Amino acid sequence: MPIQDEADILDTNLSVEIAGVGFRNPVIGASGCFGYGLEFSELIDLNRLGGFCTKGLSARPLAGHPPARIVETHGGMLNAIGLQNVGARAFIEEKLPLIRRYDTRVIANVFGYSEEDYMETIRILNDGEGISLYELNISCPNVKEGGIVIGNSAAAAARLTESARRLSERPLIVKLSPNVTNIAEIAKAIVAAGADALSLINTIVGMAIDVNTFKPRLSYGTGGLSGPAIHPIAVRMVYEVAQVVSAPLIGIGGIASAMDALEFIIAGATAVQIGTANYYDPLVTMKVIDGLSDYCKKRGISRIGELTGATFN
Amino acid sequence: MIETIGTVFRNDEITPGYKKLTLRFVEGISIRAGQFAMLRPRNAYEPLLRRALAVYRADDSRRLSFLYQILGRGTAALACLKPGDQVEALLPLGNPWPVDAAGSSELAVVVAGGVGSASVLMLCEELIDAGVQTEVFFGAASENAAIGCGLDDFRAMQLPLIITTVDGSLGERGLVTTPFSRRLAAIDGSRSRVYSCGPWAMMKAVAEIANEHGAGCLVSLEAPMGCGFGVCVGCVVAVERKEAGEYGAYKRVCVDGPVFAADEIRWDVAGMSH
Repeated sequence: MPIQDEADILDTNLSVEIAGVGFRNPVIGASGCFGYGLEFSELIDLNRLGGFCTKGLSARPLAGHPPARIVETHGGMLNAIGLQNVGARAFIEEKLPLIRRYDTRVIANVFGYSEEDYMETIRILNDGEGISLYELNISCPNVKEGGIVIGNSAAAAARLTESARRLSERPLIVKLSPNVTNIAEIAKAIVAAGADALSLINTIVGMAIDVNTFKPRLSYGTGGLSGPAIHPIAVRMVYEVAQVVSAPLIGIGGIASAMDALEFIIAGATAVQIGTANYYDPLVTMKVIDGLSDYCKKRGISRIGELTGATFN
Repeated sequence: MIETIGTVFRNDEITPGYKKLTLRFVEGISIRAGQFAMLRPRNAYEPLLRRALAVYRADDSRRLSFLYQILGRGTAALACLKPGDQVEALLPLGNPWPVDAAGSSELAVVVAGGVGSASVLMLCEELIDAGVQTEVFFGAASENAAIGCGLDDFRAMQLPLIITTVDGSLGERGLVTTPFSRRLAAIDGSRSRVYSCGPWAMMKAVAEIANEHGAGCLVSLEAPMGCGFGVCVGCVVAVERKEAGEYGAYKRVCVDGPVFAADEIRWDVAGMSH
């Protein structure tokens, strides 16, 4: 890419569009790592954020798994929270009115234990004012029904996507599981079934064992691995999926810096989600936005969208 | 709650395995007893997650110290810090110990086990300042551990102080719950308020003893934390569903605690002993 004189570039346009919805920049807080957004209001300017995905919402509140729920591993962490959440109704009534005070895109992450359960969640959320998109969670590895069970099968994932698409009053992102043999095939099936966009990847199933007790360190046994350790796996998967679908992609996995985010964008992502890094660097989303802007200015890129899939050009 | 950078002023070994980290901050930070910080060496790759450490003492609002036992990768990384090094910090976090002013003729009984002492030194200072009659039960594995857990700072407060060590190298041999139980039996338990921080099994026993004697009991819990500000929902504890909490059966130690009424905790649910 030619490097222009810095003075030529006034300000890079970081805005992107996903399924007809405009985002002021491609930086989105990832589901499960950004609470209901409000937890960050003391720490960052939510009005600068591209958007955020809520914690996975279900039709009824979920208590989640007993502790221990998280364990740190090398370069990452395992979690098995069990989708603890306030429930879609309470989200609309108690959280959304507070979230609406901020000018950022809200993506509601949708979960269910069965197809009917997913539809019930969407029906409730359709009433919520201020939600821009849905993200269908068919990839949570920490529940025995729903989640990954659907995400592992192209046919089941396509079926659910089709039903959700019919019922949804908002554009539909489907969040893919990396715990599959061929993510590109599943991505194609989901897009063919009507998904407006894909986000990838969810966590990778892992396990940690306590060598003193001989037991798993998480109460659930296994957990989802996240953090910098999974970044190259996620970039590879975005690259693979970008070659077979034309729907916009949102890259997720181990982003801790603007450079990490750029790898996803160059691999084919329109936007990115930042997860685990929010825990140990609560300002990371702001740093990534600034870093993307600096990078584009230095390289003379006037619109960040030019970089999406640049590796294939 | 602010996100900031602290500069290491001192990081001294108290006894082998126990250190005290003193950080200087540019901002004045208002800390109440029982609150904690999430700390990690600046720009570290290891550990990934910050570690939750109770504020041990506030020399002033710009100089805070943290007493810790070197137990795992996180505290081992903190132990390597040298004066002038920088530390990423999010603080103050969590709810403080509630301290009522004197006049209630209440006796405060503080029960500390191991490095749980780090959470109660400021509490003792606040109780003294509030004019509350206070006694301290201080349990540790050994004399080395007791000194490492700040025993000399507790001695300096000149409160009634009962010491126990598991190996008998200092004070009464055995668990701290033995003299604590004797004491509650000897006084009117219902006029006492128990404050406790230590290993899960110890706090569970303290809660049972306090309950037997009709004493109110508060505990400060410890849990592995991902974030420290309520987002990851990783540090939960099972609670009795007396009041509908935001998350029903589980509460977050970081923002709903770390201080809880002992009778709110489901002591029978495993997973918190680590």
